[in-house]
Amino acid sequence: MSEYLTYALVLLSLGAYVVLDGYDLGVGILSLLDRGERRRREYTELIATAWDANESWIILGGVALWAGLPGAYATVLPGVYPPLIAMLFAVILRGMGLEFQSASGTYRRGWGLLFGLASLAVTLCQGLVIGAVLSGLPQRGGHFTGDALAWLTPYSVLCALGLVCLYLLAGAAWLQDKTEGTAHEWAGRLGRPLLGATVVAALVLGFGLEAADPQYFHFEQPLRATLFGLAVAAAVVCSAVAWYGFGRRPDWRPFAAVLGAEAAGLLALVAATAPVVVPPSLTLHEASSPPGSQVFLVVGVGLCMPFVLAYNIYAWWVFRGKFREAGRRSPTTTAPDDGSAGPFVPPTEPRVVVIVRRTLLTLLGILLAAVSQDIFGGESAWVDPLGVALLSGTALIAWILGDRRAQRLGEYDLPGGERP
Amino acid sequence: MASSSVVELSRWQFAITAIFHMTFPALTVGLSLLLAVAYTVYVRTGNPLYLQIFRFWKKIFAVGFGLGVVAGTVMTFEFGLNWGIYAHAVGPVIGVTIGMEVITAFFLEAGFIGIMLYGDGRVKPRTMALASWMVAAGTLLSTTWILSANSWMQDPAGYTEADGQFHVTDWWQVLLNPAFGYRFPHMLLAVLISASWFVGGISAWYLVKRRASALPFARRTLSMALGVLAILMPVQLYVGDATAIFMGGRQPAKLQAFEGNWTTDNNDYNLVVIPDTDQGKNDLRVGIPYLGAAIGHDLTGEAKVPGLLRTPPDERPNMWSAFYGFRAMYFTALAMFAAAFAGLVLRLRGRLFTSPRFLRWLVWMTPAGVIAITGGWITAEAGRQPWVVYGKLRTADAVSHLNLTEAALSLTGFVLLYATLLTLWIRYIVRTVKAGPEPVVDLRPGRPEVSGV
Ligand code: HDD
Ligand code: HEM
Ligand code: HEM
Repeated sequence: MSEYLTYALVLLSLGAYVVLDGYDLGVGILSLLDRGERRRREYTELIATAWDANESWIILGGVALWAGLPGAYATVLPGVYPPLIAMLFAVILRGMGLEFQSASGTYRRGWGLLFGLASLAVTLCQGLVIGAVLSGLPQRGGHFTGDALAWLTPYSVLCALGLVCLYLLAGAAWLQDKTEGTAHEWAGRLGRPLLGATVVAALVLGFGLEAADPQYFHFEQPLRATLFGLAVAAAVVCSAVAWYGFGRRPDWRPFAAVLGAEAAGLLALVAATAPVVVPPSLTLHEASSPPGSQVFLVVGVGLCMPFVLAYNIYAWWVFRGKFREAGRRSPTTTAPDDGSAGPFVPPTEPRVVVIVRRTLLTLLGILLAAVSQDIFGGESAWVDPLGVALLSGTALIAWILGDRRAQRLGEYDLPGGERP
Repeated sequence: MASSSVVELSRWQFAITAIFHMTFPALTVGLSLLLAVAYTVYVRTGNPLYLQIFRFWKKIFAVGFGLGVVAGTVMTFEFGLNWGIYAHAVGPVIGVTIGMEVITAFFLEAGFIGIMLYGDGRVKPRTMALASWMVAAGTLLSTTWILSANSWMQDPAGYTEADGQFHVTDWWQVLLNPAFGYRFPHMLLAVLISASWFVGGISAWYLVKRRASALPFARRTLSMALGVLAILMPVQLYVGDATAIFMGGRQPAKLQAFEGNWTTDNNDYNLVVIPDTDQGKNDLRVGIPYLGAAIGHDLTGEAKVPGLLRTPPDERPNMWSAFYGFRAMYFTALAMFAAAFAGLVLRLRGRLFTSPRFLRWLVWMTPAGVIAITGGWITAEAGRQPWVVYGKLRTADAVSHLNLTEAALSLTGFVLLYATLLTLWIRYIVRTVKAGPEPVVDLRPGRPEVSGV
C-alpha cells in the first residue's frame, strides 16, 4: 500500500516540475528568438526570482524515487546516463548564464545566449530521458543491464521535440501574463501556433507509445479507462480556453489554461500506464523499498508539504503582476580612491619591548593551541575544556568591548553620514 | 561486476563534483547568517551602514548560492547515475534522509531566496529580514541532514541487511548515529569559520588599500569576522581532536593512514611522508619527536602511533590522500588559530584596524577555511576507502553498469566545466571586491525600503 503513496509523491513532484520549470525553460528558449536586448534581460530577471524553487521539484522527485523506489532509481539513471549527464551539464550552464547575467546589471550577450541555449539543451535532454523511460529500458532485478545507447530510440527523439513545443507554449503563456509592450504582443501571437504544434506532438506521441511498446496500455479496467477519458477531456477543454485566451485579456488566462492542460495530460499518461514504473516489466512492488522507509518518507514529506506550498505561494504572490525592474543597481566600476585614507601611522615603541612582547605572546599562543587540542586530556578531563571556555569567553568579552570602543571613536561612521 | 576503470573514473568524478559543490556551502552557509544579521540590525537601527553591508555581500552570496544549487543538483543524481548498486542498497536509509533534506531545507532556501535577493522595495523590510533568516535556517538544516546521511555511511547504525539492501530498524539510531555527534559540530563550525575568513580577508583588503569610502564598512565586517573566529577557533580545535579520537576508534585504518605511519614504533608527529604503498613503508619521513604521542594524550611521550600494517592490505585506504588531506586541514587550522589569536591580542590593544602586517596576513587567509574544508573531506572520504558504507559495502561493488566511454566522457565534461566555472567565479569575486561597496550617499535619497516601516 505504502508504495502507492510513494509513487504518487514521485509523480506529483515530477509533474510539478514539468509544470513549473517548464515555463521557465520555455522563457529561456524564447529569449533566443527575441532580438531586443532589454527584453532578453527582462526574461532572465523574470526567471531569476523563481528558478530555484521550480528546480527543487525535480530534486524532490529524484530523491523520493531513490528513497521510495530504489529499484527504479537504480535502473533508470544508469540507463539514461548520457542524456541525463548532458542535462546536468546544461543545468549548470544555465544557472551560470542566469546568475552572471543577473549579477552584471546590464545585458551581456554571452551570458544571455548561454542561458537560452542551455535552456534548450535541458529541454531536449529531458525529452530524451522521458522518451527512453516510456519506451522501456533493459533491466533485471532492479539493475540496468543494457548498453550505452539504450536510451536512443525514434520515440525518445520525438519526445524531445514534443517537450520543446510544450515548454515553449508554457513560456509564451507566462510571458503574456508577466510582460507588457512588445514582448507581450509577441507572446500573444506565438501562442496559437505553439498550441497547435503541441497538440500535434501529443497525438503523435500518444499513438506512438502504443507502437513503441504495445503491451503498455491497460484499458481493460473500467476505472482506468474512465479516468483516462476524463483527463483527456479536461486537457482538451483547457487547450481550447488557452487557444481563445492568447492575445486577449485577461492576461493570466492562457497561462492558467496551459497549466491545467499540462496537469490533465500528465494525469492521462499516469492513468494509462500505472503501476509499471520502468517499462516493460519492473513493477512498483519489485522496485519499492521496505514499508518503514516509505512511511517515514511519505509522512515526513506530507507533514512539511502544506508549509512548503504556503510559502511557495506566498513567494509567487510577492512577484505577482507585471514585471518591474527590481531595486536600482549601479554598474560595476572600480572606485578610484585607493589609498585615499592616507598611510598607516606606525606606533613608536622601543624595539626590545616589541620583541619581548612578541616572544611571550607566541609562547602563550602555542600553549593555548595545545590546550585547545586537549593535550592534557590524558592527565585530567577538565583542564582543556575549561581552557577553551576561558579563551573563547575572553574573545567574546574583547569583541564586545572592542566594538563599543570603535563605536565611540566613530570608526563605524559612514563618511558624511549622521549617527543613528 | 563492473570494470575497475569504471570504478576509478566514477570515484574521480564523485570526488571532483563533491569537492566542487562543497566550496559553495563553505561560503554560503556563513554568509547567509551574516546577511540575516546585517539586515535585521538595519531594520532595527536604521543605520545605513548595515544596508551597505547587506547589499555588498548579497552580490557575492547570490552568485555563489546559484552555483551551489546547480552543483548540488548534480550530486543527488550522481548517486543513481554512477553508483546504481549503492543507490539500490542504501535508498531505504540515505534516500530518505536526503529526501527530508529536500523537503525541509532546499524548499525553504529556494522559497525565500527570491524574496531575499529581489524583494528590495517590494516587501516590507521586516519581511526581507524574515526571508533572510529563513534562507539561513534552510542552509543550516541542509548541513544537518547531509551530515547525518554522510555520517551514517561512515559509521552505520540502526539497520539490518536483507535482499542486498539496508533496512532500517531504528530511525533515531540512523539519523543520530554516533559519528554524527562529532562530525556535525565539526562541520558546522567549519562552515562558519570558513565564511568568516572569507569576509575577514576581503574586509582586510580594503583596510590595506586604505580606501576611504570603504573604511567604516570594512572595519565593521572585519570586527564581526574576527570576533566570531576568536570565539570559534579554540572550540573547533577541541572538537577536531575529539573527532580524530572518535573516528580513529571506529575506523582504525583511517587514523593509521592520516598519521602517516606503517609500523607501530614511532612517537613522532609526522610533517612530511612519501609512502610506498606496495612495500608498506615510507621512503621519506620528517617528524617532530614525541609530539605524536603528546597529541594522542600521552604527555610522557612513550605511546606509539599505530601504523597501517595493522590493517589487512585489501582494507587499506590510500595513505597519500588521507595524510595530505589531513595535513592540509591541520596546518591551515594552526595558521587560523594563530591569526585569530593575534587578532584577539590586537583587539585588546586597540590596534585591530591599524596593523598593516596583520591585515596583509588576513588577506592571505581569505581562502584558508575552504582549503581546510577540502582537506577535511578528503581525509574523511579517502580514509574510509575501500568502503562506501563502512565495513559493509565496498566502493568497487557499488558502481553502476556503465561502459568506459560514458564514464570517461562525463568525467572529462565535469572537469572542463568546473574548471571554467571556478575561474569565472573567482574572477567575479575579484571584480566585485575591487568595485567595492556602493557609496552610501547614493543609497539614501528615496530609500524605498525605509518608507514601508
Ligand atoms: C555544509 C553543508 C553542505 C554539504 C556537506 C553538502 N551540501 Fe548541498 N547544499 C548546501 C549545503 C551542503 C546548501 C548550503 O544548502 C546549498 C549550497 C548551495 C547553496 O548555496 O545551498 C546546497 C545545495 C544543494 C542542492 C540544491 C538545493 C536547492 O535546490 O536549493 C542539492 C541538490 C544538494 N546541495 C545536494 C547535496 C549532496 C548530494 C551533498 C553530498 C555529497 C551535499 N549537497 C553536500
Ligand atoms: C557531504 C559532502 C561530501 C563531500 C564533500 C564528499 C567528498 C568526497 C571526496 C573528497 C571523495 C574522494 C575520496 C577519494 O579520494 O577517493 C569522495 C568519494 C566518495 N564519496 Fe563522498 N563526500 C560527501 C558526501 C558523500 C555522500 C553524502 C555520499 C553518499 C551518500 C558520498 C559517497 C561517496 C562515494 C560513493 C565516493 C566515491 C568513492 C571514492 O572516490 O573514494 N559522499 N567524497
Ligand atoms: C586541530 C584541528 C583539527 C583536527 C584535529 C581535525 C580533525 C579532523 C578529522 C580526524 C576528520 C575526519 C573525520 C572523519 O573521519 O569523518 C576531520 C574532518 C573534517 N574537518 Fe577537521 N580537524 C581540525 C580542524 C579543522 C578546521 C579548522 C576545519 C575547517 C575550517 C576542518 C574541517 C573539516 C571538514 C570539513 C571535515 C570533513 C567532514 C567530517 O568528516 O566531519 N577541520 N577533521
